[in-house]
Amino acid sequence: MTRPAPATVRWLILLALLVFWELMPRTGLIPELFLPSMTSTLRVLVADWREYAEALMVTLYEVGFAMLIACGFGILAGALVGGLALLRNLLLPVFSSLYAVPIVILYPIFTAWFGIGSESKILFAGVYGFFPVMLSTAAGIRTIDSQLLLAARSMGATLPQQIVRVIIPASIPTVLTGLRLGGALTIIGVVVSEMLTSAAGIGYLVTRYRTILDSAHVFGAILMILLMSILFDLAARAIERRTLTWQTAGRREKETREARPATPVAAPAA
Amino acid sequence: MQHVANLSASRAEPAPAAVAVEGVSHVYDGREGKVPALEDISMTVGAGRFVVIVGPSGCGKTSLLMMMAGLRRQTEGAILCAGRPILDPDPDRVGVVFQEASLFPWLTALDNIEFPLALRRAPREERRRRATEMLNLVGLQGFGARYPHELSGGMKQRVSIARGLVQDPPVLLMDEPFAALDEQTRMTMGHELLRIWSQTGKTVVFITHSLTEAVYLADEVLVMSARPGRIIDRILITLPRPRTYEMMATDVFGRLRDRIWQQIRKAA
Ligand SMILES: Nc1ncnc2c1ncn2[C@@H]1O[C@H](COP(=O)(O)OP(=O)(O)OP(=O)(O)O)[C@@H](O)[C@H]1O
Ligand SMILES: [Mg+2]
Repeated sequence: MTRPAPATVRWLILLALLVFWELMPRTGLIPELFLPSMTSTLRVLVADWREYAEALMVTLYEVGFAMLIACGFGILAGALVGGLALLRNLLLPVFSSLYAVPIVILYPIFTAWFGIGSESKILFAGVYGFFPVMLSTAAGIRTIDSQLLLAARSMGATLPQQIVRVIIPASIPTVLTGLRLGGALTIIGVVVSEMLTSAAGIGYLVTRYRTILDSAHVFGAILMILLMSILFDLAARAIERRTLTWQTAGRREKETREARPATPVAAPAA
Repeated sequence: MQHVANLSASRAEPAPAAVAVEGVSHVYDGREGKVPALEDISMTVGAGRFVVIVGPSGCGKTSLLMMMAGLRRQTEGAILCAGRPILDPDPDRVGVVFQEASLFPWLTALDNIEFPLALRRAPREERRRRATEMLNLVGLQGFGARYPHELSGGMKQRVSIARGLVQDPPVLLMDEPFAALDEQTRMTMGHELLRIWSQTGKTVVFITHSLTEAVYLADEVLVMSARPGRIIDRILITLPRPRTYEMMATDVFGRLRDRIWQQIRKAA
């Protein structure tokens, strides 16, 4: 028996889950209050699409700005902390332990300062996503192979050239990983803060429909959040793959075929 | 690229100095206090010559090479290259090849070789042409589009050599360039290096721990003492060129290698 491809297995598992989701409530094994069936969830989504779309727009708007804050300040602070030994020794231990603090406990303060509108969500989620971006940027810059910088210097690279042509490309892989993580955290940050205190957004829909025990509507909102996170992750991974082709052997075959010289040349022994 | 056809004739001393080291001493100001690494080193490397430096580990060979490359400033003395002091890295005068190939992993082989030219904002076609020329010189035609992780260790060092030569500097400094390679690859690379050297007529300063490699490659071998490094012997290698693998089995080769070994033992 041949082993099925991993992709096939993944799709089968997903399919099984969907079937399970549909059948369990229908057969009455799980009450619709706990788990509304897939079709009733989808029906609600279609019927109230306008409400969901409006909430989604609010959430996306907040996530977008929060990501700008997290990425912008995260990369800036990470570059400073990673590049300057003094700042690094001073701040990195502080930031690393702050990372472990459940920052959500600060959210009430954010609402007190910035109100229950979008501002508090954007700032809270921005801070939430800031840490992984900052820490991985700092790590990326700190772990650059010093031999590469030495080689660049020996070729006459000025400091700006070292930054642009060596430090930045060398730290891109770790920075991108941080961005993916930080991006995911900003989504969590926005949704959670919407669930806690707000009057708009997908997270708010979850809370509101839960209080009136409308499970189908709750699951509709959950489904949208799930899709949003998955799409973000797929996009982030695609960007990583595109940027980091040099890390993978994926292009090797194509390149050797193209690179094969017209006249036969013996491959060097070394 | 200039071709030096008649090697055996042009190898005779004395030649004008390509590198002159004049009374260089160096003291590292490390965490455990001052470490004297080099003590009053003076040496000249004639243009077009292949000079190998050997010495016990930690005697300051890399430090000396870094100073010749303008990557580190000595505490005392002067280093002249083409008659002018070397104060900063100058790829027009000195190319450097390190033990680790230190290629940029995000650039293809060809882009790596072009890197020094790109720093100078040389026109694109000119860059391509020069880099391709160098790629062919080191025997890697057809491998320009590969990324470093798609190359073997020996191929990486070839790219690294090509990169060191791309600005056509008269002097090439090499710090244990083949130390990370296996024995067979190392022999091949040594042979290849001699071919490249004779084709380009460069002056080469080469650091190694391998006595066989030293005798096989060198016009002369400089032996350094343990720290603080001084030059304690200068051994002329009179073997004819081009060198062949068969020479390694001859008595002359063995005696030369022996003499270097005795000196290093004394030095350590
Ligand atoms: N940045 C530094 N700070 C302090 N001491 C240093 C520094 N770099 C090198 N040294 C010391 O200077 C001495 C010479 O070092 P160097 O690397 O030049 O030796 P080497 O001859 O190249 O050794 P090896 O054969 O092992 O490569 C060593 O004892 C080393 O510990
Ligand atoms: Mg060394």
